Amino acid sequence: MAEVKYKSGNAVVVENVINEEAPCVVACPIKQDARDYIQLIARGRFEEALRVVLSKNPFPSTCGRICNHPCETKCRRAKVDEPIAIASLKRFLADGSFSISKPEITSSYSERIAIIGAGPSGLAAANDLAFLGYKCTVFEAQSEAGGMLRFGVPSFRLSRHALDMDINAIMNLGVEIRFNTRIGENIRLGDLLNQGYKAVLIAVGLQKSKMLNIEGAQLNGILTAIPFLYAGSRGEGVKLGKRTLIIGGGAVAMDCARTALRMGCKRVHIACLESRKEMPTTDYEIEEAIHEGAIIHTSLGPKRFLGKDGKVTALETVVCKSVFDNNGRFNPTFVEGSESVIEADTIILAIGQASDLSFLQEQEGIQGKDALSSIQVTRGGTIAADLATLCTNMTGVFASGDVVLGRGTLTEAIGQGKKAALAIHDYLRGIKRKKEEEILPLQELSSTRLQIIKKQGRQRMPTLADEVRLGTYEEVELGFSPALAVKEAQRCMNCGAGAVVNQDICAGCLTCVRVCPYDVPKIAVGDSIAYIGCDCQSCGICVIECPAAAISFKSTYEDWGEAELESALKAHSERSEGAEEPLLLNFYCQYNTFPADEAFGEFAKNVKRVRFQCLAKANPLIFLKAFEKGAKGIFVTVCPQDECRFNNTICWAEKRVKYARGLLEAVGIEGKRLKLISTTPINTDEFIQWADQVTKEAEELCSLKENK
Amino acid sequence: MIVADIKPFKEIMRLVKNYRKICVIGCGTCVTVCHAGGQKQVSEVAAQLRLAAKLEKKHLEVGEETILRQCEHEFIDSLEGLVQKYDAIVSLGCGIGVQMLAERFPHTRILPGLNTKFMGAPTEPGIFWERCVGCGNCILAETGGFCPVTRCAKGLLNGPCGGSQNGLCEVSPDTPCVWQLIYEQLEAQGMLDTMEAITPPKDWSVGQGGCGPRRLVLEHLVEEEKDKHKIAEKVLTRNDCKK
Ligand SMILES: Cc1cc2nc3c(=O)[nH]c(=O)nc-3n(C[C@H](O)[C@H](O)[C@H](O)COP(=O)(O)OP(=O)(O)OC[C@H]3O[C@@H](n4cnc5c(N)ncnc54)[C@H](O)[C@@H]3O)c2cc1C
Ligand code: SF4
Ligand code: SF4
Ligand code: SF4
Repeated sequence: MAEVKYKSGNAVVVENVINEEAPCVVACPIKQDARDYIQLIARGRFEEALRVVLSKNPFPSTCGRICNHPCETKCRRAKVDEPIAIASLKRFLADGSFSISKPEITSSYSERIAIIGAGPSGLAAANDLAFLGYKCTVFEAQSEAGGMLRFGVPSFRLSRHALDMDINAIMNLGVEIRFNTRIGENIRLGDLLNQGYKAVLIAVGLQKSKMLNIEGAQLNGILTAIPFLYAGSRGEGVKLGKRTLIIGGGAVAMDCARTALRMGCKRVHIACLESRKEMPTTDYEIEEAIHEGAIIHTSLGPKRFLGKDGKVTALETVVCKSVFDNNGRFNPTFVEGSESVIEADTIILAIGQASDLSFLQEQEGIQGKDALSSIQVTRGGTIAADLATLCTNMTGVFASGDVVLGRGTLTEAIGQGKKAALAIHDYLRGIKRKKEEEILPLQELSSTRLQIIKKQGRQRMPTLADEVRLGTYEEVELGFSPALAVKEAQRCMNCGAGAVVNQDICAGCLTCVRVCPYDVPKIAVGDSIAYIGCDCQSCGICVIECPAAAISFKSTYEDWGEAELESALKAHSERSEGAEEPLLLNFYCQYNTFPADEAFGEFAKNVKRVRFQCLAKANPLIFLKAFEKGAKGIFVTVCPQDECRFNNTICWAEKRVKYARGLLEAVGIEGKRLKLISTTPINTDEFIQWADQVTKEAEELCSLKENK
Repeated sequence: MIVADIKPFKEIMRLVKNYRKICVIGCGTCVTVCHAGGQKQVSEVAAQLRLAAKLEKKHLEVGEETILRQCEHEFIDSLEGLVQKYDAIVSLGCGIGVQMLAERFPHTRILPGLNTKFMGAPTEPGIFWERCVGCGNCILAETGGFCPVTRCAKGLLNGPCGGSQNGLCEVSPDTPCVWQLIYEQLEAQGMLDTMEAITPPKDWSVGQGGCGPRRLVLEHLVEEEKDKHKIAEKVLTRNDCKK
């Protein structure tokens, strides 16, 4: 249980709730607040959205491109139609030229920290330690930073410019990277502690390519994945034969195949132990490799390399019966007598990476056999670390990333780096932290609700045309335009941040129960107050209709048109010339209008626009307020029924306008000053026609005699 | 529950026209449920007042507050500090609430913002019907659970009259004839014979207007003189309660 605060009216309410969160947030290793930045994008508030991303994630540009996005896998929208394209939305933010003020870093502590390895894990730790007020030095064996992101991941998935954006931002925090400095070679691990570093983080990843110990392994023409990929990303060709075979079924194998195709090899095959379903990578990666021309042979194990004159000519394979044993351990079994041959003059091994922990053996005063036992290493060759604090068995020495995880992912590496940073801070400051409370994902959408929620598939990522792809190492995915990003973000259901009832005020009137188009609010038998569960779609109807004003949104991003009204009023009052022109407001729904909006630009100068995330969120009060603050007329432009983002909320907008008109007329403001116009502002032409109509209506209103 | 309706705004305007500082106070119970006097309506009336003042180029300060029930001393007491700041209060409570406020705050003008209508219930969302007039002597057992005192336009105790047509009351075609409903209910329950009995004239003296305001005394809850001082201590504001 945790205390949750939310705003209702002017009061801040504190409530005890079970710790639940949107599954997209829970699934993320760094608990990136996907929902929040998506909601901000949906409102066109890009700078704020980027700020939300950056508050947790030092690699937005990279994650936006290659993260394996467990958030999308768990997105509740998947059951309705398709998950939200969360990673692509992050990329959109990272790529945009949004002005974000440089974060202020003050180094508050004198202790220096050594980080070994400038991969994502080490750099994420450096980033967070810098924000915590520490100076850290990163020791990197290579001449460039980024680890496997630079030496492994191909540039057609992650441009080096995109990677550099993230790394430069981290370096700009004052993080020092000493390149070409291999611990164990140039400096010994023990020396770091002697040089006054008060804590050390080992984030060296898995640098050794695994080899196949089978007959013919010494033949020429057998390569390993990482050097091959690195050469590709640097635009250096590798001499490949006519037929290239990649051994392995993971993301690295797919990357190798796609790189080989770009190097001009026409016949690229992939052979892996796993069946198609078991292949340890995303469907997307596999499909892209196939799309570009690779041929995949599944459930095949390598038996021996065949060769001629010292050069490899083929791989003899045997059918793999099963990859894992009953305990889920890697323990492949094969079908006897199922041998066959795949011809190849270049074979690339992409069967995994192993750690190189030789530097541990050279610790001060500890030699040979005892060396490894001083920092504990697992049987799999990874460093044993406490997963909560990432400290090793040696005081002051921490480890994170692939070298702990075995085979990890980008966000897992970042997540551990961040965790290690906090643990180092706690260690140096003597802070004891309570165990983090477990946060559970919200339950899945109820099946009845799945039927009600309108379907709307996700926006497709624009990509390089097929004809040009293979001739270049340029990124295949081109990124979302603002219009696509907004449209995609608007699909998000704002899970877990929608309506909530202030139990102190609820009168149990049942209005919310009756008006919700999704049938979410309930008053349980024996209860006297309403409860709104996590299936709320954030349409806002109950919030406005509740006679006790007991319902609000947990999300603070919904402002019910207030901010835009304020700025519209301000802009009008600041305009000196023609200030006597009457102020006319257009209340419009932002779902559906964004693309055309952009193209269209502005209305007549005295028409100011106030957008709502659906006009069902327009409170009668905002109409009154607009007139009170000087507006002379309001046009409400509602979308046609079938284009409504929600279910039948158009009729609510209509009722609301009628109701507000009643309130206005009672005060003596002519009902004509509040108009409702139905429109299809989807494409630019129609939008312009419609805007013309609105302007005409505006003129008509202006000519109305001013009320008293 | 008590059903009320907001007064025409012009009338509210007329009531407050001589005041510069007014507070609209809602009630969080019955009149919230019938969308007449809850916080939503409080905000709307307050916004209308501000807008009207603006149009008339007058200065008007309008406050807003809602309490759980305007018909309980303990809840009303929490308004003391607030009420002092205003020249007049527009109560969006039912008539009871208005009177309770007027009794409690004799130095402030307490004005009604609602027309209190009846005791009733919503029969479907947004539609409220009167169901009980508080006659003081309930006869629903004899009438199948339908109240002719309230629902028969003529108040007949031995209906129906000759004006019942196709199940509707001759007084208004929107109104079902309650005697028809009574007949159908008793028939369904196999108790039609109860209709044959003549109901004698009712004792109206126990009803509204019988002999002045009615009163109910619960002896076991009436406080002894010696305990009375405690009342003051029991009064807490809503904010105190949350602590
Ligand atoms: C080809 C390929 C494709 C991938 N694709 C994806 C993907 O699409 N999505 C995803 O989520 N993950 C992907 N990954 C995995 C991801 O890149 C890794 O999980 C991540 O890079 C691990 O980060 P790390 O910081 O722990 O280690 P690394 O990235 O390996 O960085 C370790 C750094 O330490 C340095 N180092 C090593 N030893 C020493 C030493 N003794 N002294 C000094 N420096 C040293 C290395 O030079 C390196 O820079 C991919 C990996 C590969 C290889
Ligand atoms: S719909 Fe939005 S909030 Fe819900 S899980 Fe998906 S991305 Fe997260
Ligand atoms: S509409 Fe408001 S007062 Fe009525 S039951 Fe729902 S939350 Fe409670
Ligand atoms: S905001 Fe809309 S979807 Fe959510 S509970 Fe209220 S009415 Fe239902």
